[in-house]
Amino acid sequence: MISSVGILFLAIVIVFLEVPSLLQKKLKKEFIVFSILLVIGVVSGILFSFGVKIMSPVDLLSYIFQPIYNLMGKS
Amino acid sequence: MQNNKISSFQFLVLVIFFTIGSSILYVPSILSIKVQQDAWIATIIATIVGLLVIWLYITISMWFPKLTYIQVNEKIFGKVLGKTFSIMFVLMLFLYSSSLIAHSGTFLITQIFPKTPAAPLNIMMTIIIVMGVRLGLETIARSAEILIFVFFILFLILSVALIPQVNYLNLEPFLQSKPTSILGASFVLVIVSTVNSITLLVIFPAFLKEIKKAKKNFIIGNIIGSIIIIIITTLCIFVLGSPTTSRQVYPSYALAKVINVGDFLTRIESLMATLWILCIFFKSILYFYAATFGLSQILNIKDYRPLTYPLGIIMVVLSLLFYPDILDQYKFDAKIAVILSTIIGIFIPLLLVLIYMIRKKKLKKDPQHL
Repeated sequence: MISSVGILFLAIVIVFLEVPSLLQKKLKKEFIVFSILLVIGVVSGILFSFGVKIMSPVDLLSYIFQPIYNLMGKS
Repeated sequence: MQNNKISSFQFLVLVIFFTIGSSILYVPSILSIKVQQDAWIATIIATIVGLLVIWLYITISMWFPKLTYIQVNEKIFGKVLGKTFSIMFVLMLFLYSSSLIAHSGTFLITQIFPKTPAAPLNIMMTIIIVMGVRLGLETIARSAEILIFVFFILFLILSVALIPQVNYLNLEPFLQSKPTSILGASFVLVIVSTVNSITLLVIFPAFLKEIKKAKKNFIIGNIIGSIIIIIITTLCIFVLGSPTTSRQVYPSYALAKVINVGDFLTRIESLMATLWILCIFFKSILYFYAATFGLSQILNIKDYRPLTYPLGIIMVVLSLLFYPDILDQYKFDAKIAVILSTIIGIFIPLLLVLIYMIRKKKLKKDPQHL
């Protein structure tokens, strides 16, 4: 609980640090990418702090590479 | 943004740090699991094979000396395929960056701070990395320039203090394992220390002042880094013996524990931990820099700095998710990362060379071609 509040607080601080200068320079693309990444970060951080099981990219990779990995294990 | 160029010596230092990287921590144990006391032969073979890989990367980067690897990808493969490969490349870098942070976290918890949870350690490491990346490549290179001396002094103390403990009998039986398994083991090391230096192609020709000198320094730095890994692996085998080395998760840390100079200078391993943390930090910061900078180039963004904070948050979460336990860590380092790096660091560059050969005439007319 506390850590999710901390993550939200951190996100607000980051928004205050970055967004004014981005809007001032009218960098629209940067702003969109920045917000998408920030949302991904904050959501995954809060999910993690509540102990929800998120699929890590490592599991995905080991699933994809399983056949090659089995081949390597034999040799 | 492209004005902040680094000198060739700074590049040499970065290459040395990158080559040593995390391999100094866990490679001796991975090698000695596979080939027991012949691990040191595998490191020497890996050094020689690694030079070939570096030669391939230098050739690729010399075609377009003013472009980064991501732009070269786009030039040669075309827009769609080039961007796909670049995205895969950037994702790999990002994954490795957070894996190194997870590594440093696990290392610190298991060896130095047993009662601290992983999150604060990873967050502290990430804060420094994000700060460094925001300050730019020049700052990273300068700090590396200073810290390389600390690194070499500590490394010298470590290796000299261990000389009295060397036991030559640990090398026997000599060359017992099969040549194929020695080659397989050296392949792992080539991947971990050399193939991953495809990361440096993001900064290699485009951010350097003297390209000719830097070309030489790329090779020299790789050789110096590999020699340090050879020394560490050989010392591990000499001092600890191969059974103990393969049982340790961090064999070089166990190596620092047995230092005993006249019953006076003992247990200086925490000092030596500086070595590994320095290496991991620089490798991780280079990965993160290349990932953020690469992402900004894929999306045609002018400044990469706004992306660093959100990516930092994602990196912390990813680093906490990375290794649920130590077996996953071994599986990732010795198997999954090897396959991933082989695909992205060897197959795609070879494909790049092939397509370049086919499209040579058209590409030579390009104004940015050498």
